[in-house]
Amino acid sequence: MRFFICLGVGITLVTSQASAGVEAPRFSFNMAADGVAGGGAAADFGSVQQVSQTEWLFSGSYGSTSGSMLSWTYLVDPDPFVTGTFTVTNETSVSREYVIDFVLPIEPALTASLISGQVAGTLTDANGSGSALLTSMGGGFAFSALADGSVVQGLMANASHQISVANGTSSFTGGSFGFPTPIAGPAINMTIGIRFAFSLSAGDSVSFSSVFVANPVPGPTSLLVAAIFGGMRQRRRY
Amino acid sequence: MRSVIPNQYTLACGSTAAILLAMPCSAAFVIGGTSIGVSSSAGTGTVSNTLAQVSTTSWAATGSWSTPSASVSWTNNTFGWNNSTQSGFANGNIVVRNNTSAAQDFSVVINMGGTAGGPLSVSGSLGGQFVNGSTLLGSLTSNGPLWEARADNGVVRSELNNALFFAQPFQVISIGNFGFSNPLYGGSVTNSMSLRFSMRLSAGAEASFTSTVAFQAVPTPGAAALVCLAGVFGQRRRRR
Repeated sequence: MRFFICLGVGITLVTSQASAGVEAPRFSFNMAADGVAGGGAAADFGSVQQVSQTEWLFSGSYGSTSGSMLSWTYLVDPDPFVTGTFTVTNETSVSREYVIDFVLPIEPALTASLISGQVAGTLTDANGSGSALLTSMGGGFAFSALADGSVVQGLMANASHQISVANGTSSFTGGSFGFPTPIAGPAINMTIGIRFAFSLSAGDSVSFSSVFVANPVPGPTSLLVAAIFGGMRQRRRY
Repeated sequence: MRSVIPNQYTLACGSTAAILLAMPCSAAFVIGGTSIGVSSSAGTGTVSNTLAQVSTTSWAATGSWSTPSASVSWTNNTFGWNNSTQSGFANGNIVVRNNTSAAQDFSVVINMGGTAGGPLSVSGSLGGQFVNGSTLLGSLTSNGPLWEARADNGVVRSELNNALFFAQPFQVISIGNFGFSNPLYGGSVTNSMSLRFSMRLSAGAEASFTSTVAFQAVPTPGAAALVCLAGVFGQRRRRR
């Protein structure tokens, strides 16, 4: 019993040491509308606020030259997770294809991970035209979870949501993976991210709320370190 | 007669903060300005807001209210009163986040000052998401309606009465769709149309809502009869 208590203390210490930090991570975004891309560090387009020892809240907005307005509120933790909401409005008179990425540098790197994610959204006939349409691009995923820039899980394949009422809204559940039990993910060295790829009708808006969490899997080395740490504590007591 | 008052006023009173923005005015269907107000048990917030005119009859507001531990943001909340079409609308998205370690109450009022001759037909909708960003069970609740569309102080439509949503740690919930197109508001608007959100969010939770409301003047029976009579007289004159 003492061994497991010490093991737990050891793991906690290892984890807390790894997650300590005071500078805001360089959480960034990129929005491509019909292939015209723009973006940068989220903090440069709004505000960033530390809300706990390891958590940061980013809020901001970005108006592209191609007639799209993007805004976001994201809580991130480099340990890592990304959760929050963004809204994009297609202010043009034609349908647009969007690819929107949010990327978070992580610390420490994960030699193995357990991941989970979810997404939901709301489509709005923002211009009161009587219709709005959201589809995933080319039948692919409207939502993808990224690890080091590669897609590790996708949701909302072949998504299609439509509104046929003026000023109407349509909320949808985009599904989940690894919920409630996280699933095995890859090693993650540099970043996690979320990608939204969809086509949005003219004059309309959509908001997506999502969660992507990657937890470290205690590897043999970590367990060994924790066990040694625990053993040393026991010996000191005696 | 059109008047433009470009000044922007920021008010902060106790835990309530509001922005008043003066708007151009026109006759009959007159917009008198707009305000976005936030009050919260999480404390007094700092408000920032940008207002942009997106057409001759509509404007868009983007801004936020924030404290060190809570925030409300709104983006592209567009609204307009069109005198030539005798109609008006408001739509937009708000995101409410509670970063404190306890449940907090939030009240958000998006107010469009103005007058409009009634009766009015009103349509609109509401949708949203709830995200529990904490490691504990999260909740989104309301004591009474979570969302209301109001004309002056009268409720035109309310949704999510005594709302009660629970979410597991790091769970995203779709709040659902609520739409309406039938309410007829019999009176004239003499002061304002408004959208109101009232909710309690658990620690670490976030709720986002997209809502729309549109109103259109409906000819009274007397006015409709006059239009019909004018048409009939017009036809008779042409025949002669």
